[in-house]
Amino acid sequence: MVNFIDVLDRAATGPMMMQKEFDVKVFIPALRKVLKKYDIKWDKKDVVNTDDTLADRVFEAAVEFYAECGTYITDTERIIKFTKSEILEAVEDAPKETYFGEGPDRCVMRGRLPDSDELAYCHVGSGTNTTEEIALRLVEAYARISKAKTISIPIINTLGHIRTAAGAPTEIFAGIRAMQYGREGCRRAGRPGLGIIDHVSSCASGVSSIAASAPQFGARTSDGWLVAPFAELKTDYSSLNQTAYLTAWGANIGQEAGPLLGGYAGGADGLAVVNTAYSLHGILVIRATYHLIYPIHMTYVCSSVPEVLWATSLSTQAIARNMRVPYYTLLYAAAGAATKMYFYEALACLLMLIASGSGIEDVHPGKAKITNGCTPVDMDFTCQLGHACKGLTRKEANKLIDKIIPKYIDQIPNPPHGETLTECYDLDYFKPKPHFEKLYTEFVNEVKNEFGLELIKY
Amino acid sequence: MGTQEAFTKMSEAVENGDTEALLSAIENVIDSEDPLTIIQKGMMPGLKHIGELFGKGEIFLPEMLMAAEAFQDGMNLIEPKLNAAGKKVEKTATVVFGTVLTDIHEIGKNIVITLMKTHGFEVYDLGANVSPTTFVKRAEATGADIIAMSSLMTTTMTYQKDVIDYLKEKGLRDKYIVLVGGGPVNAEWAEQIGADGTSDSAVGAVQIAERLIANKRGGK
Repeated sequence: MVNFIDVLDRAATGPMMMQKEFDVKVFIPALRKVLKKYDIKWDKKDVVNTDDTLADRVFEAAVEFYAECGTYITDTERIIKFTKSEILEAVEDAPKETYFGEGPDRCVMRGRLPDSDELAYCHVGSGTNTTEEIALRLVEAYARISKAKTISIPIINTLGHIRTAAGAPTEIFAGIRAMQYGREGCRRAGRPGLGIIDHVSSCASGVSSIAASAPQFGARTSDGWLVAPFAELKTDYSSLNQTAYLTAWGANIGQEAGPLLGGYAGGADGLAVVNTAYSLHGILVIRATYHLIYPIHMTYVCSSVPEVLWATSLSTQAIARNMRVPYYTLLYAAAGAATKMYFYEALACLLMLIASGSGIEDVHPGKAKITNGCTPVDMDFTCQLGHACKGLTRKEANKLIDKIIPKYIDQIPNPPHGETLTECYDLDYFKPKPHFEKLYTEFVNEVKNEFGLELIKY
Repeated sequence: MGTQEAFTKMSEAVENGDTEALLSAIENVIDSEDPLTIIQKGMMPGLKHIGELFGKGEIFLPEMLMAAEAFQDGMNLIEPKLNAAGKKVEKTATVVFGTVLTDIHEIGKNIVITLMKTHGFEVYDLGANVSPTTFVKRAEATGADIIAMSSLMTTTMTYQKDVIDYLKEKGLRDKYIVLVGGGPVNAEWAEQIGADGTSDSAVGAVQIAERLIANKRGGK
């Protein structure tokens, strides 16, 4: 694989152009060309792709697209480009398994094929806004979910009465506190070695992220750091600085991206190719040892609509069949927490992912916009479903999803707001409040009676 | 090519993002027709239609961007004639739009800007990592009606509040409509910092901007 130092050299010497020129004259035409050449279209029949040849064409399209497009560096206004053979060599050389955590909590994330009998990797947590006073308890609640192999820890954006700001010293303090809460929460749950794989979500800037990652604050190389691009296929020196630090330290790096359906990627067909291309960018530029994708619909700001589900299913299969890299997906529900609609959306999303070959993370309620908007019940549900659906095939998933989508699709434009964590969940007892428990019990019974999926109630 | 045929071709060319065809159609009538009429009857219908299709989810950002690019190329050809005739294109309102300090994510902003242009807004794109004082300085310099701010990160949202605080400090808050948006931004946050509106979607943002401008001009 092309060495990281050579990648940095290309960032400083590659073709130079304005960002807008990259979007309009490079990215969009290159994507349109491969969509046409490889005949990638959604037939609007199945939400879970069942055509292996189409998945392989998406991979080929993504390789060709990325060879033409590359990754744009906003600081230098240059493009890091790779040849097709360099990309394919990187695919061959990329890590196929990644180890997280320590001691009894050590685990491995591996690539998994569609229709596989292997258990889907179960990751839980939420790198979303959380008020500081509940952060520690919340992490403990995540870590108590025994089927979870790794966790994400919340974003803290207040220090007492002060709101933290990106690039300011307050961000460094918030990052350090989040790290400490994360480690302590795991200890309190009796899982001190549990891997935390969303470092450092409280920090937007590279300098804060690196500062908070110093080992004296609790970070370990067996955790994972997510390094994000900008839409689409762009990065900057701040992100590459994180990669440089983590690579030198020997830590796990996660490529994360949230491409927009309706944005530069265009429709569902383009989204499938761009999702896949991000994994290529990930292994070559970010030096990823694991991968996270979270595509959303531009208008509805969620992932549970059929076109995003299809695109995600297709790209997951393209990556699983052709790259086999450690891979998981985070999807967003439109409905807020503690609503039936949320659970329907989450069920459709997770079934698609399990059958397509992805690792799973709890679907985030309320478009992930609500402070304290995720609950441990969502996370336990995710793991229970992952175990209950071991071996689920794409055809079986389609049959189930066809029945689930009508239960929520009409409400997508105006979803229920739902409740916040403290309204529906008791952090002293680590259990849902009675009204939420009742709603969840009804849902679990419905899933059993209607779909034949047996979950152990939280 | 007759005038009506040229107008039809212009509209189609804008919709298809075909600059070459658009410029060719404009050149056919540029010496014989009023430049404002060329814009309003030839180019605007295509741009407006593109905006409508985007709103319905039938097309996406690439198509809209290409159409806006072609439209701008057409404007570049017509503007000298327009200036010579002392005419101006009527606009819905003037907007200064940027991504806030320390945040370099631009896609959300770019989508809304492109859609605003199809709805007749004149938009000054301030780019990313825009400081609070720059927002206000540019709004004052351009005679803007609206200050629009995007932020994708929870840790950068706070700079949206700084812009509003600075407007208040300068006694300028009531002069502008302030819109906020971006991944983590919701109505609760907009209300908390004293913004005039927010939306999850580009279509919603344009609708809010149109409504607030109409209210302001109607004295409501």
